[in-house]
Amino acid sequence: MNHAPHRSVLADAVYGLLNPLPFGFFAAALIFDITYARTAVVLWNKGAAWLIVFGLLIAVIPRFVNLAQVWITSRHIARRADRLDFWLNLFAIVAAIFNAFVHSRDAYAVVPAGVWLSTCTVILLAIAHVVMAVQHSATGEHVHE
Amino acid sequence: MNKIVLHIALALAFGMILGGCSGKASYQPAQQSGDAPPLPTARNFLVPPMQVPRYAGWKQGQMPKVAPGLRIEKIASGLIHPRQLYTLPNGDILVVESNGPGAEPVTTPKQLIANKIKNLSGKGAKGGNRITLLRHDGNAGGEWEKHVFIEHLHSPFGVALIGDTLYVANTDAIVKFPYVAGETQITAPGVEFTDLPATINHHWTKALAASADGSKLYVGVGSNSNIIENGIDQEYRRAAVLEVDVASASSRIYASGLRNPTGLQIEPHTGKLWAIVNERDEIGADLVPDYLTSVQQGGFYGWPYSYFGQHVDSRVMPQRPDLVAKAIKPDYALGSHVAALGLLFSDTNALPEKYQHGAFVGEHGSWDRSPLSGYAVVHVAFVNGKPTGVPEPLVTGFHSDDETQLYGAPVGLAQDKDGALLIADDVGDTVWRVTAASP
Repeated sequence: MNHAPHRSVLADAVYGLLNPLPFGFFAAALIFDITYARTAVVLWNKGAAWLIVFGLLIAVIPRFVNLAQVWITSRHIARRADRLDFWLNLFAIVAAIFNAFVHSRDAYAVVPAGVWLSTCTVILLAIAHVVMAVQHSATGEHVHE
Repeated sequence: MNKIVLHIALALAFGMILGGCSGKASYQPAQQSGDAPPLPTARNFLVPPMQVPRYAGWKQGQMPKVAPGLRIEKIASGLIHPRQLYTLPNGDILVVESNGPGAEPVTTPKQLIANKIKNLSGKGAKGGNRITLLRHDGNAGGEWEKHVFIEHLHSPFGVALIGDTLYVANTDAIVKFPYVAGETQITAPGVEFTDLPATINHHWTKALAASADGSKLYVGVGSNSNIIENGIDQEYRRAAVLEVDVASASSRIYASGLRNPTGLQIEPHTGKLWAIVNERDEIGADLVPDYLTSVQQGGFYGWPYSYFGQHVDSRVMPQRPDLVAKAIKPDYALGSHVAALGLLFSDTNALPEKYQHGAFVGEHGSWDRSPLSGYAVVHVAFVNGKPTGVPEPLVTGFHSDDETQLYGAPVGLAQDKDGALLIADDVGDTVWRVTAASP
């Protein structure tokens, strides 16, 4: 990426470290949700609830870093792909917040809403990751995420 | 452009959260009482209806309100979470000071938050794990003599005296003690009589009643979840009334499908076993009414698969249409989320005529209802061994009028030898005594 002089290396490092984690948590939650919907074994449901909550907690810092970089510190060099990535992530997080509440329901009341919300979160994040990967590829950079 | 999208997204999110929170009750408890309560459609929420008044306790001289024609006095205070009362043959009153063992593991993120909110009311305070004996010193008015009767119990709840043996239902076992009439303390160690289901203990209370001939003990064992969210395998011998043979200590399931049965009592006219049962949460402020019912041997009352007969609960998977089909409809609904936790049949007492021939019910109140319901002692009239009419509140005023502060909460009930109604108040740490205003 083109680093503007006032862009913090620390922020980039924190972002690079934390940003990949929530996608993994939410993808795991989706697998757990599908397993619970098919088996009704409550372990999967409780596991999914924790994964979503931790995914959200870990997402807090990288999302704020991204917000600042895309719209403030690096707004002059932010590309269309960066802005798209921001919005896809935002909607994924909103879906995950609703999903955390849906997962506070008891037993099978989580199904099917929980499965759909997990699917939404994962699809939005997947698109965001693909968009960024294609962007890096087009500019001849390494895919670092 | 992007700002507009952001504003729309935020407005949408906010609206959905608000929509998920609404769920105010539209029925009064009395409207949902009797043998055919109206039942609205079940709903799932993002956040279930919730209202928890904050603990305040009773101020000096402050008391619950009583219906016209009644008088209330305090006979014991400074107790440690008094839950149950039991009248001994000589007129002494046992007060079981107890609360849950607090051993339920946190296995969902929801529990972390919900437990904090629920405990704001003071209902989660630590119990004394002991039984205190109250004795009237013969002088009118004032507090009764207080003696520590049995100590070092493990979340006790039910008490039953058969002959000279006192049975105490701890959360994990029934223990027995030798009782000598007139004694104010038992120092002999308890002997385990029989064990009770003790995993998780989501519902920890073990209610106890002895059959009229003293040959059987009935034990109320609550479910290990709201609606099997801990797995159906955790519900073995749960949500049931167990019958324990006093001679052999062997036990069997007497009736099942009773989510949280407490207040086990023998109805004096028919000799039948009755219970109060707290029904499931989180599908609406008007669902599901808690109830009072006779307990039939071998009967199945629906939990978890259905409520009030054949109303299927879709949160349970796999479903069991075979069990739903045979689910017995309870005899008498008390109202949604009143949280009945004390039952006393009283054929004759020192209260006015309208409170004779029936049952008193102590309603502890629930977190899952807005506006509040319960937090009262009500009377249900009985005709020919069957409940009739609407529950008549006789002691109220346990919370502030604006429903923000909680002074006390009624639980166990008993009748003293003078026919007065005694009420254990586990939030106010008090025992109240209700009599007719003019004898």
